[in-house]
Amino acid sequence: MAKKKRPQRSKPRPARAAARNEADLPTARVVNAPQAPAPAPAFWFGFEVSWAKLLVARVVIFGILALDAVLQVRHAPRYGASDFNVANLGFLDSMGPGRVAYGGCQLAIAALLTFAVFGVATRYVLPVATVLYAWLYFGSQLDSYQHHYLVALVLAIACFVPWQRPSRDRDSGREMTAPSTPVRSWALRLLLVELGIMYLWAAISKLDTVWLDGTTLSTQIVGGLRSMIEGTVGFAVVSVMVIVIELTLAFTVWLRPAWKIAAPLGLLFHLGIVATGFEIGLFAYVMLALYILVIPDRIWRGAAEISAVEMLGKATRAITDSRGQIMLGLLAVVGVPLVVFNRLPHARTLGFLVIGIAVVAMTIAQIKKRRGGAVPAAALAVLMLWTVVDRSTTVAIDYYRFWGGSQRRIGDRDQAERAYRGMLEIEPTSEIANFYLGRILLADGRDPEGLERLHDAQHDEPRRARAFVEEARWLATQGKRLEAIAKAKDAVFADPSDAEAKAFFDSLQGGGKQPNRPKPDDDL
Amino acid sequence: MLANIPHLGPLLSTWRGRLIALVVVSQLLLPLHYYFGRRDPHDERFAWRMFSPMRMAQCSPEVRIDGKRFELSSEFHEAWLETARRGRFRVLEQMTARLCKKNPSSEVVLRLSCQYLGQKQPVVYGGFNMCLSDEI
Repeated sequence: MAKKKRPQRSKPRPARAAARNEADLPTARVVNAPQAPAPAPAFWFGFEVSWAKLLVARVVIFGILALDAVLQVRHAPRYGASDFNVANLGFLDSMGPGRVAYGGCQLAIAALLTFAVFGVATRYVLPVATVLYAWLYFGSQLDSYQHHYLVALVLAIACFVPWQRPSRDRDSGREMTAPSTPVRSWALRLLLVELGIMYLWAAISKLDTVWLDGTTLSTQIVGGLRSMIEGTVGFAVVSVMVIVIELTLAFTVWLRPAWKIAAPLGLLFHLGIVATGFEIGLFAYVMLALYILVIPDRIWRGAAEISAVEMLGKATRAITDSRGQIMLGLLAVVGVPLVVFNRLPHARTLGFLVIGIAVVAMTIAQIKKRRGGAVPAAALAVLMLWTVVDRSTTVAIDYYRFWGGSQRRIGDRDQAERAYRGMLEIEPTSEIANFYLGRILLADGRDPEGLERLHDAQHDEPRRARAFVEEARWLATQGKRLEAIAKAKDAVFADPSDAEAKAFFDSLQGGGKQPNRPKPDDDL
Repeated sequence: MLANIPHLGPLLSTWRGRLIALVVVSQLLLPLHYYFGRRDPHDERFAWRMFSPMRMAQCSPEVRIDGKRFELSSEFHEAWLETARRGRFRVLEQMTARLCKKNPSSEVVLRLSCQYLGQKQPVVYGGFNMCLSDEI
């Protein structure tokens, strides 16, 4: 029976093959009017969206995921710490990512997804990004966010979507792709069905008395939104509403005629989650980005006709359709300083690798006389993304701080010292790094440098007592009681509210037993 | 037989269709494992239970080696302790397995006390020598 159906499916193939030859782009499928009939079942294989919608989805979804990947670099130090790992998939227990691999892979994922944003070799960059992402997620239960599981699935499905611009006529150079050009993709339908399944199970998981009576939600929501809910309908009603919304979305998000309901409902729902301030990273924004596929096509077609958007599109095409020499020059002039300026771990090595790949890809494009302007443009965007995130957030500093803190607590002084030295390289006035490095050095008998670090810490934050106290402790152990008292006095002056400083000063003056050193947990 | 079912037959006759069927069926069925097959109620992975009541459970793992209380923070990263405080059995079992290996011929007792939303009394798991048993 199945074999009898095969001839029907082969009908559109000649047209598709011809289109491929014209386009010279194996990942793209030109869908010209009149369209070839879709193979059965049309629900899957006849699903079409406009090129305008697909382009916006590509740029926004992969753009957010690329940004999210760079932000994850700060969590790298927890991976591989103490050589302990429990994987999400049991067979990966001993093959989970370590600190270096995790940090490097997240930067690589960000780079690959930025290439996807520019439509560069999506057929290749997306599978590689998916494999790396899946390894990081499934390789360790340290990542317990279920939305990262969703992202792994979304990326896997996205590998089968024809994200690149359908085509232009090779001979005449005439643009064949209009914003309204339909692009057929079963994978996009599958992506929406996957969202529907997720909503269904999310709703089922909430059929629990402690959810239905509002108890669960009331423990999760804080701030202004909490006051608003308490002052209006109450948590029990909102909890039931959440289930109703999720069930509605489960049956409408993948069904085109129901998008009029799903789009506003889903957007408001996820905007509401943004308003809750849940610590779920960029997940709410990823969900909002996925709704680009649910917003009816005519809205994106209309947006594409706005003159400013048209101009932006023409400018972008002028860059991506060029031979790319100008962009390559720009990459050399701007990209190299960006790489050198970047402080993220491994970013310099990977940055030069990105530039190298761009140069090789451009050379191949030149030899084959193909347009290749998108490659250096994407490479430049990667370097800009890394550097902007580095310089506008605390990702790099957090990386070294978390690394140093965790290694210090589990007693690995060598690793902790490396981490704090790395932190001082990028932030020489860090009180945290100077203080803990000073302590490590003093404990290791390297007194002169240890004291120097403590003095730097005192200078970095003169209102914080602990570096003064630490020096006073060291002086006391060296038998220099008067100098210790003077330093302890400095500590009390620095922060009169510091109980430890006061107790230590009193103990030195009274000649009594010195209080134990508290375990500082404030600087993870 | 499946090939004779309308819509399903044509779907399963291509690799794309089979992939679609695999994804849809697995995603519909996989969460059932949490409700019917999982021994650890705290392990909500792959079940799409975001913001669930179970996520709000607060557990206190206590490990004693030969009767002496052992500080897990001296051996494991804070992020693993956070996972342990969510009561994730498999993580706790791997932790105690490591401690058993490091302390051969010692008794490593794990006691996990979990407080759930809507319940007044905590539920206690374990309380026995984990070196003699792989599972809580």
